[in-house]
Parts: sequence; C-alpha cells; structure tokens
Amino acid sequence: MITRRTFLESAVVSAAAPALAQTEPKRIAIITTIYRYLSHGQHIGDRFLIGYPFNGSWHKPDMKVVSLYVDQKPEGDLSQQRAHEFGFQVYPTIAETLRCGGNKLAVDAVLIVAEHGDYPRNEKGQTLYPRFEFFDQCAKVFEADGRAVPIYNDKHLSYSFDKARTMVETSRRLRFPMLAGSSLPVTWRLPDLELPLNCEIGDALMVGCGGSDAMDFHALEAMQCMVERRKGGETGVKSVQLIEGDAVWKAGDEGRWSKDLLSSALSRSDSPMGFSVTDGRPQDLVASGEIKKLTPHPAAYFIEYRDGFRATLLMVEGAVKDYTFAARLKAAPEHVSTQFFLSPVPNVTYSACLVNKIEQMFSTGVAPYPVERTLLVSGILESCLTSKVQGNRKLGTPQLDVRYQAPPTSQYART
Amino acid sequence: MADTAFRPKLAAVVTVYRKYSHGQHIVDRFLEGYGWNGKYHHPEMDLVSLYVDQHPKDDLVPDRAARFPQMKVYPTIAEALTRGTGKLAVDGVVLVGEHGDYPRNEKGQTLYPRYEFFQQIVEVFRASGRSVPVFNDKHLSWSWDHAREMYDTARSMKFAFMAGSSLPVTWRIPSVEMPAGARVREALCICWGGVDSYDFHGLETIQCMVERRPGAETGVKWLQAYRGDNFWNAHKEGVWPRELFNAALCRSHTLKPAREGFNDIFPSFDDMRRLVAAPVAYRYEHNDGLRCTMMLMNGLLEDFNFAAQLEDRREPFSTQMYLPMPPARTTLANFFSPLVNGMEKMYLTGRPTYPVERTLLTTGLTEAGVNSLYKGQTRVETPHLAISYKPTAESTFWRS
Repeated sequence: MITRRTFLESAVVSAAAPALAQTEPKRIAIITTIYRYLSHGQHIGDRFLIGYPFNGSWHKPDMKVVSLYVDQKPEGDLSQQRAHEFGFQVYPTIAETLRCGGNKLAVDAVLIVAEHGDYPRNEKGQTLYPRFEFFDQCAKVFEADGRAVPIYNDKHLSYSFDKARTMVETSRRLRFPMLAGSSLPVTWRLPDLELPLNCEIGDALMVGCGGSDAMDFHALEAMQCMVERRKGGETGVKSVQLIEGDAVWKAGDEGRWSKDLLSSALSRSDSPMGFSVTDGRPQDLVASGEIKKLTPHPAAYFIEYRDGFRATLLMVEGAVKDYTFAARLKAAPEHVSTQFFLSPVPNVTYSACLVNKIEQMFSTGVAPYPVERTLLVSGILESCLTSKVQGNRKLGTPQLDVRYQAPPTSQYART
Repeated sequence: MADTAFRPKLAAVVTVYRKYSHGQHIVDRFLEGYGWNGKYHHPEMDLVSLYVDQHPKDDLVPDRAARFPQMKVYPTIAEALTRGTGKLAVDGVVLVGEHGDYPRNEKGQTLYPRYEFFQQIVEVFRASGRSVPVFNDKHLSWSWDHAREMYDTARSMKFAFMAGSSLPVTWRIPSVEMPAGARVREALCICWGGVDSYDFHGLETIQCMVERRPGAETGVKWLQAYRGDNFWNAHKEGVWPRELFNAALCRSHTLKPAREGFNDIFPSFDDMRRLVAAPVAYRYEHNDGLRCTMMLMNGLLEDFNFAAQLEDRREPFSTQMYLPMPPARTTLANFFSPLVNGMEKMYLTGRPTYPVERTLLTTGLTEAGVNSLYKGQTRVETPHLAISYKPTAESTFWRS
C-alpha cells in the first residue's frame, strides 16, 4: 500500500541528494509523444523555454531544457525548430535523451507529456498512450546510472491501474519525487472555493463534458481534489459503476445522484447549450428538463469510497461546455459550488498554473500535492470504463486501496 | 433579503431586443432568471412592461412576449410606464440604450437615445408626482451635458439612479479588491474594442478600483488621448509605466500569439506594433494627482486587465476583470448577472447599490477621450469633471 508518509520520506531523501550542479540552472529533459502546436507537449514544454504568466508577471523558470525525445513527428512537428532556437538536442531514444548523448544521467528533472499523437485505443475506449513505457525507460536509466531525479507525468499515470501503481512504487523504491495529473485541480475557480480541510461532506457531484478517456479524467481529478479534503483524508475507493443513457436520468429520479447538486453545479456554468445558443437566454436546464434533450449520451460515474462517502461525475456532453462542481457539506445549510475555469484557446493559461507546480517540484524536490491523487483517479477511471464494457455493472475495487492526505495549503490559482 | 410584502413591478425601456444585445442580456435575466450564488435565481420582482425602440428581423420580442404573458409590450415609453392607467404604474425602470441602428456623429459617437428615453421616463414621473428607481446601462450619454442633466434630474427628483458597465461587478481573476485606503500612484487598464464603446468599459474598470484610495474620488482635471504613432512614441518614452503595462498584459488570457507555433508568448515592442494597427490610450490626471491610463489594443488581446502601483507595495497590484464572452468562449454573457443582481437590490431597497457618480465621471472621461482624439490628440482640460464621491464600503464585484 502506498501512503502519503512513505511518499514524503522518499521526497525528502531525494531532495537532500546532490544534484549535478547546484548553482547552475536545473537541466530538464522533455519526453513527449508529439510536439505540435497546441499539443500538451508543446504548450507545457514551451513554458519551460519562453516562460509563462504567473502572479501578474512573466515568469521564466530558472531551468534549461537540454534534451527532447519525441515519439512521433507528424506534420506540424516543432521539435527540430525548438531545438535549434533554444539550443538543445533531440535524441532518438529516451535513454539518450536522459543522458544527453553521454553515458550517464545528465539531467536534473524529467517532464513526461504523453498526450496527443496517434496511438491505438482498446475496447474500453482508452487511448493507449505510452506513459508507463516512457516512465519505465526513465526509471531504467535511473537504476543503471545510480541516480534518480524528479518526474512529472502529464494527465493520468496510465490507462492501466496496475501500470500506474508500478510507476508510483518505482518512484518510491528509487526515491525520487513524482507529480502527475490534470490542470483542473490547479486552475482558477469561479468562485474562489476551497472546501475546508477535514470537512464532512454529505454528497458531491461533478459535471463534465467531452469525450472519454480524455475529458472524464480531467473531471474526475477535479472532483477528487475537492473531496480528498474530507474528514479522515483519502482512504481509497470500494466500488465504482458507470451507467449510461436513460438509466442516468432514472438514477437521478431515484436519488442515486442529487438533482439539487446538479442545479447548483450548473448554476456555475457559462455555457448551457440549446436555447442559450439559439437566442442567448439563461436557462435552468434541470428545472426545464432541457438537459435530457441536450444530452444524447449521458453517463454517470458513481464512486463509492472506502469510508462510505459517495460522489458522482455526470458527463453531459451536448448540454454544457464547462466543468462545474457542487457539494453538500454537513456543517453548511447551503450547497457550495464552483466552476473550474478553463481559460480560452490558444493561451490555455490554465496550463501555466500546472507548469508552476511542476517547476516547484523540479526546483525543491518536493511534490506540492500527492501523486497518489492521480494514481487513485487513474484507477477510478479505468474501473469505470471496465464497468462500462461489462454491462454497466457495479465493480468492487479492492485494488484502489490508495490512502493519502490532501495538502493542507490550497494549491489552485488564486493570486 | 427582500421585504416579502413588496414585490416590485418593473418596466424595461430598450433600444433593441435581439440575441446578445444588452437588452436581451439584461431583460432576459429578469424574465428567465440566472445562475447566482449556486442556485438558479429568479428575481423577486416582475418585469411587467416593455418598450422596444427598434424591431429588426431577428427581434426576440414576439418570443418573449408569448412566453411571458405577464409582460406587456407597449408602443411608447409613457405607456410602458403607465400601463394603461394614465399614471406611473411601475416600481422601477430598466433603461438599456445600447445596440440597435442609430446614427453616428462626426466624432464617431453612436447617438444612442439614452438621454431621450430618460427624459420621457422623468416626464411620466413628473406627471404622476412620483418617481421610482432607474438603472441606465453603460454610460449615461454620449454627451456630457445630457449626462449631467440626467444626474441632476435624478438628484432633484430624489429617485435612486444607477448606471454603468459590467466590468466593475464581474469576476476578477484573481479575485482581489483594491485594499481599502490603498495609496494608488498610477493605474492602468489594457483592453480592447472601439472608441465610444469599450473605452467606457476600460475607464469603469480603472475607476471602480482607484475610487477606493484615501480621500475617495475628487474628479479629473485633464485628459489626453494618444493614437497610432503617438501611442507608440509615448509607450517608448515611458509616458505610462512600463512595469504596469507588463503586469496588466500578464493577467490576460487572450494574448494574440506573436509568433507562429507558440500559443502563449510575451510580445515584444515590435510584435505589438505589428499586431496592433490602431492603438488608443486615454491618459488622465485626477485632482489629487493620481494618473491613470486606459488603452485599447485591438489585435493584441480581447480582455480587460488592470494594474496599479500602490505606495506600500513593490510589485504591481493586478487582476483581470473577467468577461465570460459569447459566442467564442461561452454561450451566456454571465457578466450581466452581477449587474442585474445589483439592479435588483436597488429596486428592492430604493437605494443605488453603488454610486452613479462613478459612471457620471466615466461618461465624462469617455467624452473627453473622444474629444481629444477628435481635436488631434490634444490635451483636454476637464474642470467639469470635478466629481467627488465615496465608494461603497463593501465590495460589489462577483465573488460568491
């Protein structure tokens, strides 16, 4: 079992380990699937090259990208152009990238961004991005060369919980700090809502849109970063179930998810579809029933935690275009709710919020929030999608025995 | 909350009611409700009558009239306010004189009939011997003289009067208020849009922040506009502080990428010259010495970013006044929700939620900016803008 305590111990050991050159800027390797305009690899990687807006100024990380591995080079590939302009090398293998063409590890941190690119999908609809494989090759270099450095892994750790768990266990065994996940937990919130640490949550509902398994991951992690603050900390997930179609609305009628919380969450949306698109009018999609008409393929992801708490993600593609959350706290008479703000394309400044967290770990050797959050969400998502292809049945998830404590300090953008 | 015995009846007087016009955004929120404080909120009042000045092809009035039969559409402003009774028969008036097909004058100002609508409203008040609260969307008028007369009329007839933009009341990213009593040395807003249009929003953005400085507001003594090469020369010469300029840009979420292949890159001076064909700045000095600059930089960004230098703070104080703007980014212009919520409070309490003097001043500044541009970007003295007022003690921007 992975705990926050062992994680912190490993982080402390690694932070105390000598780096290559303490006075020089940290040397960063980027390992990515593709480096094309608006791919995650580009917009995350570029921020280490040209800086990003942070706290009201243009912040340039005191770090140098020294090497890059790109798995695929489709039309529009920018890797060579960036390498030329910013003075680093593109290497043909991950090992060479980490060793910068030499014979031992020659970087201080590794940024793995394996999102986008042309990869197969499995029967559950999961894109088989080679995150585990990339990570594993990094870990092999660390082991061979007798030194390990921090790794950030973009989005979920892997489509497979077994692989994800192996990744986290490897980081513990080799004692290097690791951070992963989505931008949603760290972006701006409208309003600026944080749940009190150790609060008692009666019920929670996340509303998301977009496809699986890309956008449901973001929504699940946004929900997790809120509910992990409940009393007792995170203790893992006992079961999950994903239901679809009319069964979603029937479950709402039966009280398996709260329509009141859905109303609260949607009151934070700026993008109801349907009549708002037709003529601009605000809408109460729940009271009017329009949400059913607008959502041809709804899905509900039911998460039952080991401590008895339950939370639900509703994916309502077609009804809205933003990500909102609502919860009932036992101590408060009114629901609390917010929108996780995804700022406009192409700036996608929410990824600057994430890069600042990555930079923080690279620079201090301590992850600002636990990778166990992303490990758990990786497992929740995989099990939900298994439920989906197994007739939407409820699945016990004894493997999701992932325990951790939420960071006491809020980690999302608010300054 | 509201006195349950009093459920105000409202009349709306608007230029045009079509998709994404201000009339639609505002009146719809009274009719349809809107998301507020985590609930779907229905104002505790009834919008019972409507006057619409123009009915283009995509007019939404027939749809709204059919779906909200409690709201009657009248052919004149007087009838909308009297509802067939011969005297004032509403408890509040919503005046939205923005959008629609109206002429422009030689200075480029659109001659929206806000003053004319207002005059017709107060004629009913006078004839009825009773006045009710009035909200006026955006600046009071394109003309300072009209605006001043509107303000003086409301004062002399003693009715609650509110006006202005959504910018002072919308979300801020980050969600910060100018610290009360902060000594502001300089303030600046970088935004976008047209002269006699979004310049007003930029001016309200600045004013809602700087009005909180010690001694409150005392008005503005001069304004100078800069355009084109004059703008770039002033920028190079440091007429406005570069540090604040950069801080404001770093709050934007819509910086036009200055280089192909980059999605979020800080622009150089040359980049900006290339991207912004016709920059405009209004620089002005308050009577207590504070200097402010409002900039329209079309082509560089599409949001409203504020930065100020405070005396007790090394780093600039900065934020973005965030507009969830349809149709590109959202489907709803929800920045109208806090505006309407502020209006509701006035209709329920009979007191303005924040001072109309703010908008009187920004109306005068907008006109002064237009005049300075029209007169070859000369400095315009503004003794008429010696407007004093105190801001609300409580913050009135959206944060819950």
